[in-house]
Amino acid sequence: MAYIRKRNKRIFLIFLLPAMLVLFLTTIYPMLYAGYLSFRSYDLAKLFVPRVFVGWSNYGEILGSSEFLHALVTTFKLMAMTLSVQLVLGVGIALIVTQKLPGMPLARTLLMIPMMISPVIVGLVWLFLYFPELGYLNYFLSFLGFDSIPWITSTDWALWAIAIADIWQWTPFVMMGTAAALQSLSPEPYEAAMIDGNSRWDVFTRVTLPQLKPVLVSLMFLRAIDAFKIYDIIFVLTKGGPGDSTEVLSMFIYRQSFTFWRMGVGAAASFVSLVIIVVLITLFFKSLNRDQVS
Amino acid sequence: MSAITLKNVIKKYGAVQVVHGVDLDIDEGEFVVLLGPSGCGKTTTLRMVAGLEDVSGGELSIGGQVVNNVAPKDRGVAMVFQNYALYPHMTVKKNMEFALRPLKLDKAEVDKRINDTAAILGLGELLERRPVQLSGGQRQRVAMGRAMVRTPDVFLFDEPLSNLDAKLRTQVRWEIGKLHQRLGTTVLYVTHDQVEAMTLADKVVIMRDGYVEQVGTPEEVYTAPQSTFVATFIGSPSMNMIEAKVVAERLEANGFSMPLPDRFQGKVTEGQAVTIGVRPIEIKRVAASSTGAMQANVEVTEYLGNEALLDLRVGPHELVAEVPADQRVEPGKVIHIALNEGAIHLFDTVSGRTLSE
Ligand SMILES: Nc1ncnc2c1ncn2[C@@H]1O[C@H](COP(=O)(O)OP(=O)(O)O)[C@@H](O)[C@H]1O
Ligand SMILES: [Mg+2]
Repeated sequence: MAYIRKRNKRIFLIFLLPAMLVLFLTTIYPMLYAGYLSFRSYDLAKLFVPRVFVGWSNYGEILGSSEFLHALVTTFKLMAMTLSVQLVLGVGIALIVTQKLPGMPLARTLLMIPMMISPVIVGLVWLFLYFPELGYLNYFLSFLGFDSIPWITSTDWALWAIAIADIWQWTPFVMMGTAAALQSLSPEPYEAAMIDGNSRWDVFTRVTLPQLKPVLVSLMFLRAIDAFKIYDIIFVLTKGGPGDSTEVLSMFIYRQSFTFWRMGVGAAASFVSLVIIVVLITLFFKSLNRDQVS
Repeated sequence: MSAITLKNVIKKYGAVQVVHGVDLDIDEGEFVVLLGPSGCGKTTTLRMVAGLEDVSGGELSIGGQVVNNVAPKDRGVAMVFQNYALYPHMTVKKNMEFALRPLKLDKAEVDKRINDTAAILGLGELLERRPVQLSGGQRQRVAMGRAMVRTPDVFLFDEPLSNLDAKLRTQVRWEIGKLHQRLGTTVLYVTHDQVEAMTLADKVVIMRDGYVEQVGTPEEVYTAPQSTFVATFIGSPSMNMIEAKVVAERLEANGFSMPLPDRFQGKVTEGQAVTIGVRPIEIKRVAASSTGAMQANVEVTEYLGNEALLDLRVGPHELVAEVPADQRVEPGKVIHIALNEGAIHLFDTVSGRTLSE
């Protein structure tokens, strides 16, 4: 027995090795290297300047820079815009598509399509829709007699344009999770409420929502973590502009690293964003555990 | 005035008819049990009374008013579900409060009702617990409490004891009976368990395949079953059934013969195929020499303490006899038995209906 157990231990390491190798090469090594870079002055534009150790000065620079703070605020602003709409719309649509009506299973499937499209493609599709002068959206607006809207060319609208594309893509995710949770609820309490005469509103707010809450909290955390990393759609639609109106954290990092070639500063900003994501993920697992306890 | 009346009530799911014209009168304060094997349409009938299923045909009245198209909440009924249907995220108290919400009572009245009900059902200690923190029997009582606080005109129960273990089932059954005596509310109760039906009911409605087979007091359905179905369904162990023919004033079956009891004179015709029904307790051991004695092989003996069940073979027929425990015999032995002629039932084999009337 002891012999087998020992052997099994070694075999399990062999099976793990390829995965660990990939994880190391694609995640752990780059992360450690970024950590190393974040403490150096490393300017790709000045190839022959030595990459000297500069202590916390990269961190000091970004935390003190209004551009970085602006990017951080924009990220959270976009997060708040998309998450709130996705929550309300997702739950609303889930309530509709879980009704026992003809066509609902098909509707459920069709509604999930946006989620399965690559964000770059989503960005391109919305680019066609938003395009000034030639875009479909403005065409329809003028068709209906409205003024055209400078979707991605005005600082007032650009962030909303991004948010709408993200909402279009990710509301189905919230809908799917909510619909699954709705369908797992036992139907009998609803019949009891029907006989007792509880109003639809009371049943929704006091029976359905409380039972959905753990799932909704999880869905919102997952969306928040994702929204924090939003990149593709913005890159395709606005590249952070006009001005800096849609410059979120990931765009800021991209610009520091690959436009200004300031690798050290970019790496430091990445680490700050990593810390924020770790906090979000920790809160997420905390909330999961709390649900399990109760 | 009757509390609930069903007149030729029908239920169809699409083209499939599952309840075929049920007629039933339930008096104010009566405890009526719908009894029948699984799938016979008991739950469907109950759900039509509750308003959770539409009535496909016929007329359903509650309190003298036709309610075919009345919403469940306006029927004055409260229902206790098989799986309790408690709100899982609410405490016991909140569960009852939520049931009272539509009545818009003031807080003092709500608290009074909840406390009174909790006292009756012994839920006082449990008011702040949530359903997951309760045992099956406690959940059952909470479900009853939630129905009781609304002081409905009619209680509907759907197999309320089926999720409880045998011991609890007996206890909660007893509590339900006591509760009915105390509150005097009309009850319509669904079960497939004849013991529940016999112990609780003022009136038993025996259903089979969507039809009502017989309606009567527990005593009537036991002593005067109207059909072979009711005869075998009620009573444990089941009534023995022997297929026979009427031949020259005698009941003749393969390897079995007895004189036709006088009370069936004129009710049967020569050559009619009949089914003799006899309860296990009406089969007696007799001396070999006594008149009408039949020879029987004992195949299995089940000792039950006070009495014993003998599985007997008489010719091609298998019979179960219930005898006092001290009269039991070893399997493999041959004994002599006689049927208590005064207690046999006679059914027409073709229609399955009784010939006793
Ligand atoms: N929603 C439904 N759709 C189709 N058939 C149903 C439905 N509900 C019940 N039935 C059928 O109706 C019959 C009676 O069911 P039910 O009333 O639940 O029986 P019971 O409660 O006596 O066990 C069963 O044959 C069942 O399959
Ligand atoms: Mg049932």
